[in-house]
Amino acid sequence: MILTPADANHGVIRLGSKPPSIAMITAKGYKKDFLLPDDLAIRIEDLSITYKINVDTKKTLKNAVMRASKGEKVRMRSVEAVKKLSLDIPHGSVVGIVGANGAGKSTLMRAIAGIMPPTSGRIIVNGKISTLLALGVGFNPALSGRDNIILGGLAAGLTRDEIDSKTDEIAAFADLPDGFIDLPVRTYSSGMYGRVAFAVSVSMTPDILLLDEALSAGDAAFKEKSFLRMRELVEEARTIVIVSHALATISDLCDSAIWMHKGRILAYGEPELIVAEYLKFLEVGTLPSNLEDM
Amino acid sequence: MSTKGSAGSERKSATSPLIQVFEPHKAKTPPLIPYFTEFWARRTFALELARFADKAEYLESKLGKAWLVLNPLFLSLVYFLLVTVLRGGASKTTGLSTLAHILIGIFVFYFAQNIISDGAQSITAGGRLILNQAFPRALLPFSSAVRAFGQFWPTIPTYFAVVLIGKIFYPKTHIPLADWNYAWAPLIIAALAITAFGLSLIFAVMNVYFRDTSKLLTYTTRIWLYGSPVLWKPEMLHGWHRAFLFVNPLGPCLAATYHVWIDGISPSTSEFVGMGVWIILSMVIGTYFFTSRERDFAVRV
Repeated sequence: MILTPADANHGVIRLGSKPPSIAMITAKGYKKDFLLPDDLAIRIEDLSITYKINVDTKKTLKNAVMRASKGEKVRMRSVEAVKKLSLDIPHGSVVGIVGANGAGKSTLMRAIAGIMPPTSGRIIVNGKISTLLALGVGFNPALSGRDNIILGGLAAGLTRDEIDSKTDEIAAFADLPDGFIDLPVRTYSSGMYGRVAFAVSVSMTPDILLLDEALSAGDAAFKEKSFLRMRELVEEARTIVIVSHALATISDLCDSAIWMHKGRILAYGEPELIVAEYLKFLEVGTLPSNLEDM
Repeated sequence: MSTKGSAGSERKSATSPLIQVFEPHKAKTPPLIPYFTEFWARRTFALELARFADKAEYLESKLGKAWLVLNPLFLSLVYFLLVTVLRGGASKTTGLSTLAHILIGIFVFYFAQNIISDGAQSITAGGRLILNQAFPRALLPFSSAVRAFGQFWPTIPTYFAVVLIGKIFYPKTHIPLADWNYAWAPLIIAALAITAFGLSLIFAVMNVYFRDTSKLLTYTTRIWLYGSPVLWKPEMLHGWHRAFLFVNPLGPCLAATYHVWIDGISPSTSEFVGMGVWIILSMVIGTYFFTSRERDFAVRV
């Protein structure tokens, strides 16, 4: 069944079929304590994210000075990437997010990761996050794969000892040809590059894994290996949120899906149904009549 | 392969009690105590990033890290020749002290310049890291400062080697080689590094908004060098002209460097005050400007 925000209890969308927990845990260490049901990995409350972008073609100091001398301002545009979004994601969910370019998917992922703070609203995350939101994290092409794994791991918050103990495991998971791990990354194919990045992100033993178009890396065999690894993570009650334009991936991998449109959740529910509705929208170019008012 | 069927499965292992709350920044800045706690916790990342950046830069150079010393050394010799020609030649007594002054001045100035210019590019160069990981962004310019220090310290033994060899040929030249006033040197270097780091935070943000800032810095720092007591002595400024030393954020540190390394005397009170004021100004303005704009980095890099 496809649900819309209007169907949600008190406007808060809860993914998954299990009834909400009433046991609460407290987030301490902030100015006030926050309560969170203990079965939730992520709670998003009334989240809005707005930012300004410079729409000048030449983003230079020279251009800004020239404009100022003429009494003109730098041309800025305000982007409302996410609008009043509320969502509960329980532990052990695999959530897919679909939507056209500019729907706010990547901004939402960055907000959950703590990269992009909210303009209003709040996000409470219960667990260690690992992200793969931009391919080639920490990757310096002049350095070896091994060095880059160390950099990527440190950037993700692991200690040097933790990384050293995982480097061979990461290299093995990335399935690099013999000796490649000690060669400069610039000698890697794009597939190898993507596989190393993916291997680093899943080896962090995260509670919550955020992936933005990360599953396009590698061939069919690596894709299957990635799916298996993610299945292991889910069985350990880890939570995965995936943004992908590869709709088959969403249908195959996720247990619930969200369709985002212009910063809002348009519909949510079973991935096959959400993907089917979204595909119809892509073919026709107009929103389904029952979702137009969302 | 599908992971389906695991939806809503029982949690086999309890998740770690790591709860993070992300809320709007008040006064545009993130909560500063958690920010700097996280900064300190992630310092290993900054140190390793500096080490790997150095490794990557000199990996394919035959002389490798020797360039870290050779580059400012050759530059000092060029400036020494230039200054000597402009003065109409060097005497036996002043030639070596002029060379020593230019050497230590260039080494110290380049330390500050590297902190500022590498720090200015650290955010735009760290685009993928910024798009993918949540960490205090000030770690990136800090990493540039650490790297600059790694490039700076080998120049100090080089300075002593040049002066020692020079003294063999010109023994009457008065340049201290072992003096208690050298105890001030680490303090002056620390003051210079902190001031330059504060300035690098400002330029790093400017470079995110205006990508030609780092190019402009190339020329600005050259003019800055000529306006600093590196190629000329601080005592050449008299009366109100001495204010020129103190409006330059690096001026008090460079004047103090001259007094300690060449004159063998301790820095003056006004130089200490100047250093203190610039540390506070650059760090307060730099930290506020940087942290209040940090949110924008993810959409502008």
